[in-house]
Amino acid sequence: MASCIGPVRAVLVAACCLAAVACGGGGGSGGSGTPPPPPPTNNVVSVIVDEGPTSQSVNTLFTSVTVCVPGSTASCQTIDHIQVDTGSYGLRLLGPVLTVTLPVETLASGNSLVQCAQFVDGFSWGPVALADVQIAGETAKSVPVQVIGDSRFTTVPAACSGTGTAEDTVASFGANGILGIGPFELDCGNCDTVTHGLYFACATATTCTDTTVPNAMQVPNPVTHFAADNNGSMIDLPAVAAGGAVTLSGSLIFGIDTQSNNKSGTQTVLTVDGAGELAITYNGQTLANSFIDSGSNGIYFADSSIATCTTTLTSFYCPGNTLTLGLSIQGQNGVMVNNLTFGVGNAQTMLNAHPTFNAFPELAGTLPAGNAGTFDYGLAFFYGKRVAVAVEGNKTSVGTGPYIAF
Amino acid sequence: MPIFNSGEIKIAALLCAVLVAALGPRIAAATLGEPEITVQSDVAQLRASIKTSEDRASYRIHEIQLPGGTLLREFVAPDGNVFAVAWNGPTKPDLRQALGKYFDAFVSAPRPKFADRRHLQIKQGDLVVQGGGHMRAFSGRAYLASAIPSGVNLGDLH
Repeated sequence: MASCIGPVRAVLVAACCLAAVACGGGGGSGGSGTPPPPPPTNNVVSVIVDEGPTSQSVNTLFTSVTVCVPGSTASCQTIDHIQVDTGSYGLRLLGPVLTVTLPVETLASGNSLVQCAQFVDGFSWGPVALADVQIAGETAKSVPVQVIGDSRFTTVPAACSGTGTAEDTVASFGANGILGIGPFELDCGNCDTVTHGLYFACATATTCTDTTVPNAMQVPNPVTHFAADNNGSMIDLPAVAAGGAVTLSGSLIFGIDTQSNNKSGTQTVLTVDGAGELAITYNGQTLANSFIDSGSNGIYFADSSIATCTTTLTSFYCPGNTLTLGLSIQGQNGVMVNNLTFGVGNAQTMLNAHPTFNAFPELAGTLPAGNAGTFDYGLAFFYGKRVAVAVEGNKTSVGTGPYIAF
Repeated sequence: MPIFNSGEIKIAALLCAVLVAALGPRIAAATLGEPEITVQSDVAQLRASIKTSEDRASYRIHEIQLPGGTLLREFVAPDGNVFAVAWNGPTKPDLRQALGKYFDAFVSAPRPKFADRRHLQIKQGDLVVQGGGHMRAFSGRAYLASAIPSGVNLGDLH
């Protein structure tokens, strides 16, 4: 190395030293011969709570995703306002915003694979296609994604449309797509052996029948297909003033305990059941079918003692004064997190006071009495926290997924 | 005290109807707002089965097991009509069938302000449809507000 540096001009030093490394470095002055480690994969993508592509969103977290035709570096598109959702599984893109043509998966029968993704308030119909998915520096090669509202498959079978209202446009979906990064790999669980009306084999664009699907062809949480940092993810958001904020920016970090920036540290692990649920105790009742979910835009629970709004927001709470309430969370592993507090503001008053705000940490809504066993703690839970979601079967320094930790 | 005075006869008639339905080529699920005789579940097409039928103080429940694991419950009033349906399980049931003539009103209802993908709160005239959950775990119910028998607590309709 010394002879290399000698009379050589400074601007050449770097190139010279790189050459020395490339030559094997056997004669390096340190004598170790160890090449420097490759730079770590960039595992951080920015996320934002804003008004969304429809200007109607509240407490909805978005990021950007790049998709490419598999194997191509030219047929690629970066799409913004993809909702970040820990309560679903899989990347789904709205066909009307896609400018690249992704190849549809073909079943062994030769039929095209098309999905009827179910959401509580509707369904999204569209083919399962393959894409190379890039988020930050992470890449998942040739992973199944759903293209919702794809012009190639516009006829929705009755078995799908019978589940509710179509959400197949940006206007009806409220996003350009959704990135489901919940604590499981697949969006179904047993669709390889049981038909659920979720996957359809289409002989033609108008002839589709309910089908089972090999797991590898189902739409997975794409994080699980990353080459690295594929055991889960973390959402890191700053705290928000009680009254809310116009926007909120944070980070989505891939992997848990895989790099220096995603250490579990002292996080508390709450494992979840096969549906992604745990128990929340509120008002003296333990609600066994509860969940913590970045895809819920409020804090939803049943409490008939709190006044509801009377005009357009009738399923939200409108107490006379902001309430400070308590709850405890218990994982399936028995770990309890006690004495958490949350605020319930008057939804109508908050909205009237700040009509341009999109983040409202104290927005809370009702659940029907028939859902009395549920407490749905939405995106507000993530405000001011770093929340890890570990995928089933993955072991981290603090536990084994499926779990949520914070 | 049971409100079905001729309870045994009616249950026998119902079981007969269910049996006939089960043997039929295509059996409609019990449908909101229609007579109990239409508690003919889609056994052939959906491979569903009546799991239980149970008399409560002011209504009767039929619980139908769908093949994917979802349970569909149908609530029958003393007047013999289905006044509510409720479901829970890994996927949603065929609501076109369960809601019958009310399905179109359900799907054409305006999307509420601040709707997300985890909640459903629709009120169209007499029809109320509510739901909650997420992928892998859905629950919900639909009822006709004016048809709920006296003494029935909304919290029981699940």
